[in-house]
Amino acid sequence: MKEFEMREAGQDKNLRAKVGVYICECGPNIAGKVDLDKIIADLSQLDDYQDVELVVKKYGFLCSGPGKEFLEEEIRSNGYTHLVVGACSPRDHDSTFMGVCKKTDLNPYLYRIINIREHCTWVIDDKEKATEKAFSYIRGGISRVLRQSELFEKPLDINPDVLVIGGGIAGMEAALSLSGEDRRVFLVEKTDHLGGISLDLSGLLPGQGEIIKNKIDSVTEDKNIRLFLNTSVETVIGFLGNFEIELVSIENAETTDIMAGAIVVATGSSLFDPGESAHLSYSESDEVYTSLSVEKMFSGEGEARLRSGKKPSSVALIHCVGREEKNYCSGICCSYMMKLAGFFRNQSPDIQVTEFYRDLCLPQKDDQERYTEAEAAGVEFVRIKDISIKGTEVSFEKMNSKKSEQSFDMVVLAPAIVPSADTEELADLLTVPLDESGFFQEVHKMTNPVGTSTDGVFIVGTAHGPKGVSDSMQFARASAGQILTRLIPGEKLIPEVKVTEILEAYCTGCGNCLDVCVYGAIYSDDSRGISVVNEAVCRGCGNCYGSCPSGALRTKHFTNTQLYREVDEALR
Amino acid sequence: MEDKAGVEFVPSIVGFLCNWCTYAAADLAGSSKFALPPSFTVIRVMCSSRIDHNLLLSTYFKGADGILVAGCHPGDCHYGEGNYYARRRFALLKKVMETLNLDPERLQLSWVSASEGKRYAEVVGEFTEKIKELGPNPIKNSTRF
Amino acid sequence: MSQTGNVLVIGAGIAGMKASLMLAGASNKVYLVEKLPIIGGKVIKNEESFPNLECSTCMVAPIQQDVLQNPNIETLTYSIVEKIEGKLGDFSVVIRKKARYVSLTDCIGCGMCYEPCPVSLKNEWEENLIDRKAIYVPCSGSLPNVPVIDSEHCLKLNGKEECNLCVESCAFEAINLDDSDEVMEIKVGAVILAAGSSTFDLSSLPNLGYSTLPGVYAPMEFERLFASNGPTLGEITLRESEKIPESVAVIHCAGRKEQKYCSAVCCMYSFKFARFLKHKIPSASVFNIYSDVCVPGKNYQSFYKSVEGTDTEMLYTSSIDEVQVSENGPGLKVTYSDASGSMTELNVDMVILAAALVPDDDAAELAEIAGVDLDSRGFIATVQDGSGSMETSREGVFVAGTAEGPKDIQNSVIQAESAAGQVMDIVTAEVSGS
Repeated sequence: MKEFEMREAGQDKNLRAKVGVYICECGPNIAGKVDLDKIIADLSQLDDYQDVELVVKKYGFLCSGPGKEFLEEEIRSNGYTHLVVGACSPRDHDSTFMGVCKKTDLNPYLYRIINIREHCTWVIDDKEKATEKAFSYIRGGISRVLRQSELFEKPLDINPDVLVIGGGIAGMEAALSLSGEDRRVFLVEKTDHLGGISLDLSGLLPGQGEIIKNKIDSVTEDKNIRLFLNTSVETVIGFLGNFEIELVSIENAETTDIMAGAIVVATGSSLFDPGESAHLSYSESDEVYTSLSVEKMFSGEGEARLRSGKKPSSVALIHCVGREEKNYCSGICCSYMMKLAGFFRNQSPDIQVTEFYRDLCLPQKDDQERYTEAEAAGVEFVRIKDISIKGTEVSFEKMNSKKSEQSFDMVVLAPAIVPSADTEELADLLTVPLDESGFFQEVHKMTNPVGTSTDGVFIVGTAHGPKGVSDSMQFARASAGQILTRLIPGEKLIPEVKVTEILEAYCTGCGNCLDVCVYGAIYSDDSRGISVVNEAVCRGCGNCYGSCPSGALRTKHFTNTQLYREVDEALR
Repeated sequence: MEDKAGVEFVPSIVGFLCNWCTYAAADLAGSSKFALPPSFTVIRVMCSSRIDHNLLLSTYFKGADGILVAGCHPGDCHYGEGNYYARRRFALLKKVMETLNLDPERLQLSWVSASEGKRYAEVVGEFTEKIKELGPNPIKNSTRF
Repeated sequence: MSQTGNVLVIGAGIAGMKASLMLAGASNKVYLVEKLPIIGGKVIKNEESFPNLECSTCMVAPIQQDVLQNPNIETLTYSIVEKIEGKLGDFSVVIRKKARYVSLTDCIGCGMCYEPCPVSLKNEWEENLIDRKAIYVPCSGSLPNVPVIDSEHCLKLNGKEECNLCVESCAFEAINLDDSDEVMEIKVGAVILAAGSSTFDLSSLPNLGYSTLPGVYAPMEFERLFASNGPTLGEITLRESEKIPESVAVIHCAGRKEQKYCSAVCCMYSFKFARFLKHKIPSASVFNIYSDVCVPGKNYQSFYKSVEGTDTEMLYTSSIDEVQVSENGPGLKVTYSDASGSMTELNVDMVILAAALVPDDDAAELAEIAGVDLDSRGFIATVQDGSGSMETSREGVFVAGTAEGPKDIQNSVIQAESAAGQVMDIVTAEVSGS
């Protein structure tokens, strides 16, 4: 322990410090609860610190306009090397007083706010005890601030260009939203064409086919979008603002190196293989289809026929195929199947359409009306507990436990949307974790659904999880929004200042810290045999600190020496 | 509890609170004016995962009668999974302390969210009572240090 | 056009705040207008949000702080937009900043002014489960933490009495009873409507007993009852009897038939309630009476599976619209038709109704002011071009969050970021085009 302290304390030697201590009266909230004059007198007489001059004052409201001006003038005229403000919570006014410091020569990291209101005067009724406590807190603040170091923002140059992986509807939308005079987009698609799965779903909504064609045209014509068909991503290194990417042609293995500031993953999804479901003899009959293949028939030939060429006169639509196995509901199949029911009824008005469902999941605001219309048009809805099919024979158990069997000309399955085959590989490449369902995991389910733990890598469309076309495009535009707001051409990025650093002399290169960092901010420098923090990526949580066996880490602004000073004062 | 001289034992307790959840709860307890024991001192850190065994043991050896580490509920960590690491390390440290004949009861890990101002006051109050019952940390007068 | 980079965002809930932060990050000047005296929206009413039951305050408070401290965002609380004229890139907006009577700059939020106020009223933000004064903050932990005076009920302001108690109690001279509304006019290039939604009026369904039977609760009432910063500090006790409920029925789909849509979030919050109840009252029996389980997306079903059979018994009804709640001694009786269609009775202490999300009370008025179309359900309509664009019928005016329709937090955030993305796309185009 001693070693640490000496090592970290070294910086303050030979420095004559002048610490300004300002206590905010906060009206009666502080001044009325403690004996401020006693605190000021006691602090002024402190002889704990060698070569340190203390100036202790109080003021009515430091956070007010005049208060801030007063403080600014005091810092200037007294030439403080450090500043302590005894006031309220840093959550209220840390940034206020840092702002004051920034107007002067005092580095804002040589200032400290001490929360004597929320943690002392508001919770301790006994004036004498509250006075003692406030004194102790402020003394802790003085001791700590003397161990604090100047920290500086390190603006980073950024590359505003973006790599979009996947040329489906989400990828195209992201590319189009982002491309511009001062921002190029590299759009990489592994097949030989744009459009992805949406090409097969073009019958889904009226006019949607047109939209997709228009998007393909716009992407192709956009001179700021560089298109790479038949191409995959080979390597990715870097971080937000500065990624280096190697692309490889699937046809001839030729590689291309590109640089981009952000990466949008829009690699789509695939469908659950009904063959994996024990209840369904998918391959045994020729007249059992997936919803997608029926959709293709309708969008291709305009009608759905049996393999015999005849039009079916009865169709069973089976919902929730794979829901149980995957343990999630894809959320779009119910309304999708009702859409298909409509296509069948348009084709043959007398057709018998029966939908076997477990729960109606109708999350979009139009979905329920579609259901009401289908029901009114004569589509039969059967809620089932259990179902199995053998060829086109459907055996099912209703909610009232009655078991029945029924035979159909055609059976159509609605398979769940599942992660596409190369998801895992790409996740590895991008160091983005997968979630329990096997899709790319968002950094926060609610407040940041397109971001990932690798800052600068965004997930959109069904690569994020099952969703419809409109939602996929919204995700795409959300990612574009995040990139537009963070990578501004010609402007620099200002990363977190309170980051962790690794002291080379102490690092053994064991790599423990690499494993625990959620943000991938630490990498191994093999030539020096040590681990290194990428300060552009580190968020300063300090988790790595506890993993280091050799004490090589320093969490800036929360160093052990700084924290020990607080501990010491608390225990006096 | 009173010592031989009949003076009430006022424990020194240090609470390491995570910035995002428990520190906010402490603020809420403050603005709600819930009474808190003066013997409790708050030290703010960004994440409970920053609190390593070194800091905890040092605080213990420096003579803290009680040490509370409090952060976001599991699953709520502002940094994703910091509190899971904190939990694991904490459990391990308690085992180690037991082995070394140090009193693991003087250490407590609690989860208090930003809206749990009242719970914060309760957690701090109850921990303080517990430490009062345990009495002063004997390490303070130990000749070993 | 200098105002191209200015954006008006109406509503400071999760969608409005996220959109504002994104726009401000790209150096656009944002006017964020909120009708309530505080920001944060509906999410902060939930102690925990599904699916991972994350503490909402921990999640949202940093966002609220970011909004309030962002130099590019001018947050106008307790304000309403009265007029939006002009066109894309050149809108003139009239905003009325209602008299707050408490200075946002001088007040430090000590709360000394509440105590002396002689007026006692129901706190609407706390779903009327607790009283407030005429000078009040809606909830503990309000941001900004500055009270407002309810001019309708303040004795001095409504002319009933020469009361000056709050003014006298304030050590900061922050209270000014002569304050008056302020009207300001601003120029913006685009508008985002993110004014949120409301919940279905449950008293219009007499079969469910809401507002006649004290043991029947609306979802937001239960959220506040559970909240540790709420009226009971998190203790679940019944209205009037103050008893701890030992059996609770959550009835799904209240208002689904009337509204003609599924709100997509009610199943999840109903399951969350089951978890809450079992967490706080382990001995309680919890029943979910449902007809369909709607748990769309990759994250939700696993949560449902984790409560099904453990935290709650799932009771299927063949007719969710015909469930009856009636008085049964001190408790309640729920009558429903089970899977075989026969009527079944269930005696419980408490009923929570999973009410649909409906358009905000002011949605029609806002649509008129903003000059945009509503959809057939009364939500603000988008252009419906099949691309999920957040643009409304008026060019340059966008919508996001539950103002557009029922949705969860994730989709509200996505829409907000999507709308902000569209605005920035236009702004860039405008700037480079001019």
